[in-house]
Formats: sequence, C-alpha cells, structure tokens
Amino acid sequence: MIRSQRPTPGKPPLSGKPKYSLRDTLLSYGFLAPALILLAVFTFYPLAYGSYLGFTEYGGARFGQGLPPKWTGLDNFRTLMADPLFLKSLLNSVKYLIIVPILQLASLAVAVLVNKNLPGMAFFRAAYYVPVVTSISLAAVMWDWVYNKDGTLNWALGAVHLVSKNQMFGWLNNEYTAFWAVMLVTFWRGFGYYMVLYLAGLQGIPAELEEAAVLDGASSWKRFWSITVPMMKPTILLCSLLSTIAALRVLEEVLVLTNGGPLNSTYTALMYVYSKAFQGFDFNYGLASAAGLVVAAVALLLSAVNFRLFRDSSGDGA
Amino acid sequence: MSKKIAARLLTLGLSLALGTAAAQSPVEVQFWTWYLSPKFDNYIKSTISDFEKANPGISVKWFDKQDSMVQDFISSVNLGSAPDVVNLNIDETAKAAQNGFLRNVDSLTPMASLKSTFYAQPLANFTLGGKVYAYPWYGWLNEGVLLYNPDLMKKAGLTRAPRSMTELLGMAKTIKDKTGAYAWVPALKDPNTASFLGYFYSDGLPIYDAGGKAAFNTAAHAALLQQYVTLFKGGYIPEDAVRKEAFQVATELYPQNKVAMIVGGPQALTRIKDSNPTLYAKTVVTEAPLGKARVQTGGSMGLVVPTASKHPVEAAKLAAFFTSNASQIAFAKVVPVVPTTSAAQRDPLFKRASGGDPIANATSLVGASGRYINPGFKAPGNSDDLYKNLNDNIEAALLGKKTAQAALDDTVTYWNANMKK
Amino acid sequence: MSLVSRAAPVQRSYAPRRHRKLGRVVLRYVILIAVLIFAVFPFLWTLAIALTDKHGGGSIYDFPASLFPRAVTLRNFVEVYTTFSLGKYVWNSISITGMTILGTLVVSALAAYPLARFRFPGRDLIFGVIVATLVLPSETTFIVNTLTLKELGLLGTHVGVVLPTIAGAFGIFLMRQAFLGIPQALIEAARIDGASEFTILTRIMLPLTKPSLAALGIFTLVASWNAYFWPMLALSGAPDSVPLSVAVLKLKGQFNYDPFNIAAGALIMMIPVLLVFLSAQKLFMRGMEGAVK
Repeated sequence: MIRSQRPTPGKPPLSGKPKYSLRDTLLSYGFLAPALILLAVFTFYPLAYGSYLGFTEYGGARFGQGLPPKWTGLDNFRTLMADPLFLKSLLNSVKYLIIVPILQLASLAVAVLVNKNLPGMAFFRAAYYVPVVTSISLAAVMWDWVYNKDGTLNWALGAVHLVSKNQMFGWLNNEYTAFWAVMLVTFWRGFGYYMVLYLAGLQGIPAELEEAAVLDGASSWKRFWSITVPMMKPTILLCSLLSTIAALRVLEEVLVLTNGGPLNSTYTALMYVYSKAFQGFDFNYGLASAAGLVVAAVALLLSAVNFRLFRDSSGDGA
Repeated sequence: MSKKIAARLLTLGLSLALGTAAAQSPVEVQFWTWYLSPKFDNYIKSTISDFEKANPGISVKWFDKQDSMVQDFISSVNLGSAPDVVNLNIDETAKAAQNGFLRNVDSLTPMASLKSTFYAQPLANFTLGGKVYAYPWYGWLNEGVLLYNPDLMKKAGLTRAPRSMTELLGMAKTIKDKTGAYAWVPALKDPNTASFLGYFYSDGLPIYDAGGKAAFNTAAHAALLQQYVTLFKGGYIPEDAVRKEAFQVATELYPQNKVAMIVGGPQALTRIKDSNPTLYAKTVVTEAPLGKARVQTGGSMGLVVPTASKHPVEAAKLAAFFTSNASQIAFAKVVPVVPTTSAAQRDPLFKRASGGDPIANATSLVGASGRYINPGFKAPGNSDDLYKNLNDNIEAALLGKKTAQAALDDTVTYWNANMKK
Repeated sequence: MSLVSRAAPVQRSYAPRRHRKLGRVVLRYVILIAVLIFAVFPFLWTLAIALTDKHGGGSIYDFPASLFPRAVTLRNFVEVYTTFSLGKYVWNSISITGMTILGTLVVSALAAYPLARFRFPGRDLIFGVIVATLVLPSETTFIVNTLTLKELGLLGTHVGVVLPTIAGAFGIFLMRQAFLGIPQALIEAARIDGASEFTILTRIMLPLTKPSLAALGIFTLVASWNAYFWPMLALSGAPDSVPLSVAVLKLKGQFNYDPFNIAAGALIMMIPVLLVFLSAQKLFMRGMEGAVK
C-alpha cells in the first residue's frame, strides 16, 4: 500500500478543511481507550467533582451531619479575593516561577556534562539523582543546619569575611532571605529529576549532527545553542511546563522548612489550599477547591505561554 | 437493613435486661489509637485481651493511626465504615464535636459515673455546651517539670532554679551574658496551637470575657508579651523559636550545652538520654516555675465514639475500660503519662522517689497531678484560622513589625470577627 | 581512557588543541564534583546517623561532629527491620510498584502514540484536557476515588491502589514528546512495507524511545515507591497490605525518641531505588556508543 499522499500529522494539509481518515480515527481511539477509561473514572470525574465543589459550601459541618454540598455560586471566590493571606500566597507562588528558567538551564547543562563516555559518569548521574529520592523531612534537618545562624553558610561567609559575627542571622528566620533559601532547596530537589528527562532527550540527537558540527570546528558553546537546544525542543517544552506547574504548586519544602513564615513570606498558594482542605474536622473543601481553581487558572495561562515559547513542533521531526 | 438493626437493638436490650451474655454472634468494635504503635503494642494488646476476657460478646479490632488519623476518620465516615472508639486530643475532639461527628458520651455512660471516675478539670476539657464528648485518657503537663544543666547554672552564678516565671524571665539575660547559652526556649508560637495564650492563663490574665469574646488585649496582656519581645530582640531567645516547636528546639540545643533549662514534660529527658547520656546523668529535675496564677497547664487525650459508629454501646464499654483507673495506672508504669482518673492520686506509683533516675523523679513529680490538666482556655470554633492569626501577630511583634499592643489588638479583632460558635 | 581513543581521529587533526581539550576535561570534573557535594551531603549525613551507635553519645544536631560517628554499627537497621517487621511490607511495595510501572508504561505508550502520530477529530482537545489535569484542584480526588473503588469491590487491594494512578498526564505527555522526536521517514518506510500500526509501535517507536520509557519507569518507580498518602487511605482497612512507605511512616511519630532508627528506615526506603537507578541507566543512556564530541 502506498501512502505517500497521507498528510503529515500535525501539519495542516495543503488545501481546504482537515480531512480525517476513518481508519486512523478508529485506531487512535482504540489505542487511547485504556487511558481514557481510566482517566475518566479516576481523574476526570473526581476533578470535575472537585471543581464543582469550588462553587459550593462544603466542609466539616455539612459533611459531619451528612448534608450534601450547597451551591453558593461565586461566594468562595469573593471570600478568597477578600483574604489578604490568599492574595499574598498567590503572589508568592507566582514569584516562585523565577526558579523555572534557572532550574531548566542548569538541569540541561548538567545533563550535557554527564552525557559523555568519561570514567565515573554513571556514578555522577546516580549521585545527582540522590536528592530526588532523599526523604524531605531528613533533608530538611540538613538544610536547616546549613541556613542556621551558627550554620555552614554563615560559617563559610564569615571565613571569607563577607559578613561579621554580629551581622549574622538565620537564613530561614529572615523575611527577606527565607524565600530564596527555600527556593534553593527546590532547586536541589529538582535538578536531578530534570537531568534524567534531558538525558533521555539527548539520546535522540543523531550523532552525525554533532560530528559534523565538530568537524566544522563549531565551539561547544555554539553546538549547544545551534544543535542541542533546537533538537531538544519537545523535551524542553515538557520540562519547563512541568517545572512551571511544580513551582506554582510548591508545598513540601515550605512545610518542612518554614511552615510559611517568617511573616508569611514563604506562604504559598498550595499551602493555603491544603490548610483549607486538610485542617482536620474543620476542613473546607469548598474554599480549598475554589483556591485550587484560581491556581489552576494561573497555571493554564502559563502553560499556554510555554507552548507558545517552545512552539510545539509536532510532526516536524524528520 | 433497619430491620436488622432493630433486631440487634432488641436482642441487646433483652440481653441487658435479663443480664445474660450478649447475642451469640460476637460484636466487633473498631478501635483507633493515635501514634501508639509499635512503641506501646504490648500495653494496648494486653489491655484489649483483658477487655475481651471480661466481655465475651465483644471482640476488638485495633488500628494505630498516625499522620492520617483525622483524614482516615473523615474518609471512613464517608465510606460507611466508621470506627467505634477513636483516640483524639482536646482540640480535635472539640472540632469533631462542633461539626457533628461525635456522639456525646454522657448519653452512653451516666454523667454521675463519669464525674466519679475522672478529675473535674480533665472532664471539663472535653465538655462543650454542657455535653461531654470524650472519655478523658492519658494526659501531660506543659510546665510539668523543670530540668536544668547544673554546670551552666553554676557558671552563670545562680544557686538555684527559678521558682516563678518572673524569676525565669529575669535569669534569661544573666545566663546568656555569662555563659553564652540560652536560659530556656519559650513556646512562643508552636505550629497549630495557641501556645502563647498559655502564658496569659499562667499569669491569671483572662482569654475570653464573660460573654465568650476574645479579650486578651489589655495593657497587662501587652506588657507580658512585651517582656518576651524585649528578650527576643536582645538575642536572649533562640531565633528558631519563631519557626519551630519550642520542644524541638530545646531538645536539640540542650544536649549541646546551648540551653540551660527545659520546661516541659518528662519526655524531653528520653531524648536527652539518647543524645547526651553524660549530661543526662547530671541533669537536675525539679518543680516547674509557675506564673503569677500559680497554676499548671496541660492537655490530655480522650476516647470518643463517632456518631457513625454502629455499636455505640459496646464502644462505650471499651472506651470506659481503657480510661479506667486500673488501665491508666498500668499505662503510666510503661511511660510517664499523667492519669486523668481521680483515684490515681492515691496510687503508690506516684509516691515521691528519692534520688536516682531523672525519668523516675519526673514521673513521680507529675504523675498524680491529673487534676491540673487544663489547656488554660477553651478551643474556639474555627480554631485553625484563629490560631494562625494569633501566631502571625505574635511573630510580627517579635520581629518588630507591630507593637505588642497592636499585635494583640489585631488578633482580638480578627478572633471576634471569625470565631464560630 | 575510553574517550581518548574514541575521539582520537578528531584530536589528531587538531593537534594544537590537545592542551585545551585536557583543560576542559579537568574543568568538567571540577564542576561535576562541586555539583556532587551539593547533591549528596544530606544523604551522607543520613547515612552517618544511620550508622551511628546511639549508645556512643553525642548529639545528632552537633554539626559537623555528627557527620563522623564515634562508633559505627548496623544495629539501627536490624532494629528498624525487626521492630516494624518490614519484611512483608517490602513485598507489598514490590507488588504495588511493579504493577504500577508496568501499567503506566503500557497505558502511556498506547495513548501517546496516536496523540503524537495520528490525525483524528478531538486530538487536540483530548491532549489539552489531559494536560489540564496536571493543574486542576485534586485535593478531593482521593475521597471520590475511595468511594469508586468501594463500588468496584477493589478497596483495600493492591489493584485498587494501582488502578487510579497508572493513567496520568505526565506519562502520556512524556511519551508523546518522545514519539514526536522520531523521524517521520522511518514510519513511512514501515507503512510502505505493510506493517500494522501495532507493529510500528512495538517494533519501531518503542525501541527508539527506550530512553524515555526508562526515564518514565524510573519516575514511576520513585513516585510509587515513596507514595504514602494515597496507599495509606486506600489500604486503611487492610493494614497488612500497606507498602513500606506507609509502614516506615510510623517511625516519624517516633522522631523525638529515635532519629537513628528514622535515618535507618529512610535508607532502607532509598537504597533499592538508587540501585535500580544505577542499573537502569544503561537503558536511558543507549546510543552513547556513537556519541563523539
């Protein structure tokens, strides 16, 4: 069977409206069926229910008495907009996005560094993955020691005479530094994770391309920008999107390091959501879901920006 | 379904009336404890088997819940498989009762019997709107005991431990200036609690007014907070006390000789014993310094019966058994807890031990003091939000963003606007 | 060194560059070692306290002294393993994690193939909705899912824990991006040879995306192995079926008493994952043979 007339996926056909082949459609849905059924039952349905709860009054009191959610329209959103803590938390989460480009560039750079047949590389790759599997509560104790007033960071800064003893403070206790200190821990936990994704992506770059560039005398800096980055676009899109969502939804490291303080300078949107959803018997699924929806709206907006930035090159592969 | 339940109730009623053994098929009750396994498996299991021997018609299925206790509770109610007896603390019991999750236990056990079994205050801790929602179980005192490092005290030129909070506050500067170590770590804003309110209570300052409104913003309240603010700004209280639980900071610093005293329950000693056995051996245990009101604060666990329990009668029996004087004394022999039963004060276990092991001394000091178990104030409705607001304001005062008076004024305004009845 | 011989032809033609090349290799190792220290120091501390003989004295918070235990012992590991009878939980973890990985790989690959390579009505919508699930409020999901599992009679079983987790946006997204990177020419050639779509998927797409499959496998392994909230709720009525992560959580309640055992427990959790990672590297580092730089 010759199929050269078949349009390339993703690219609009040269003329007129898109034409779908029945065979492709059936096949596609056949392949998608297991995922769609499972997603429908265990993801779409509960998420739709959760989103619906955002427009209702539903929490401990109604639940405890066996009452169903009560539709309240936009009440929850009005409550949120009037709550300075929520606004502050949302702002902090958006500010947290600063980590995305830094983390992605560093992870890609580390991936390129260990993507080589040099001795010890397998060890380095595994070691860089260690933070991903380290228990966060134990890692917190260690980072606490680094940031402590008498900790290693101050010790190091003191040793090179950058700060004197009476200027020292605990990095997590200071409203101006705590945010960045927590962010560094997110960086620490994240770069090994994205490194693995980038490594997987790097394996797809045809060796001939690299070799040709080397023979052309291109510097490694130039090779990185003219070959690696363009070829890695699908992976970069994936990683930056995941990283954007993760930054907006950052929670664990804040909980264990600062619990949102000092002066709520590290209080993030997800902390707000979780404190409403899981404050024991006073839980407020209505308000938590509404706050979750606001975070989701911001995340969707930023995802669209991501897709734009790394224009989805579906079908261009060849 | 309802027929079946009716039949069961009938059988139960009959068997109770006739005084015979319960229905042929044994009733299974689900019992949830909180953070007790595996450390206290032996105690729990042997108490359960004693109960089953005494009540042949009832079998007990025991689960120990940890972090997910409340979540599991809510989830199980949702699934229609609620437990029958659940171990909660005072705050969670109040929240659960306010939201309709709990049966009042005075409907299962006569009030007179509850009153004769337990000390009045521990029972009052679990009372809301005139109804009792839990059988008081094991307790602890916040001040409990004072333990100190005699070497640091000597170095600071102090001859004895402080006997009042006023003395303790006064020693803070001396100790830090002469030894470099902090005097102690006050519980300024422990997460998810209103720990600072305890200091008001200790000094006899009211938390609420007669109408139940928050009223802790008088000049006297502000002056007390100001004392802590001054110490904090002067570097006489560890910075970390605004971020972490005081108990945690204290038990980290004490073994390193960086803090001279710990005010708290004997459980701090267990940790010191592990991390610095030499210092543990030297540590002196004495009575805790009290505030101007000369009262202790403390808390206890309780055993509750969920509204959704299918076997409330059997559940009540189990809860009463576990909280009985005999069972609580047996528990106190395993770990230094404070029984909430009034008969405990006459128990030989708590006769003052002389000399010897610090943990034994601490146990004997606090063991018979169940009558003092009192958080100092009733948990307000919507407590999570209110506690967070209080702690944020205390922090703002400590970090110099607000005056002590403004911080308390703001808190009181917020509390009165957001307190659920 | 292997690189030197492999890169030899290049180096010979640019002989004056040899010194700069060596300098670059040294620089590379300097950076790698700096990153290494940054990455592993909390792990080393955990290892140090797990190996510390707790009866030897000294505070674990007394840095940096606690990094160098005075007396070393394996007793903490034995103690944790026997006190919590971790044996059966290890088996539960293997069962849950194994099923999750297999299910995730199969379901994600099947779903991602048409999303990357076919044109059909609703494709962009389906993909958009799947990506959107990454951000929607999921706090109430578990409450709904426990009810669904109860209806299906799967609550309290390993299958019940696994099913809701295997079809996820991350896996489908990852595999779609991987399939997008495969040259269209290869697929066209196979189609001309009359290969069925399923054959193309299993014989061309999957072998070529092995690195991504391996990465997905590793991520699923880590997520499933360490997950505790969902398994804890789904198995709350069946405490004997819970995985290691839930069993070890009991340690946390004891932190105040025994950080040594906690550290040992954490390592018992971590080490299997790291070992799998070390051996699975070969899978996602395929194709290194030809990579000359």
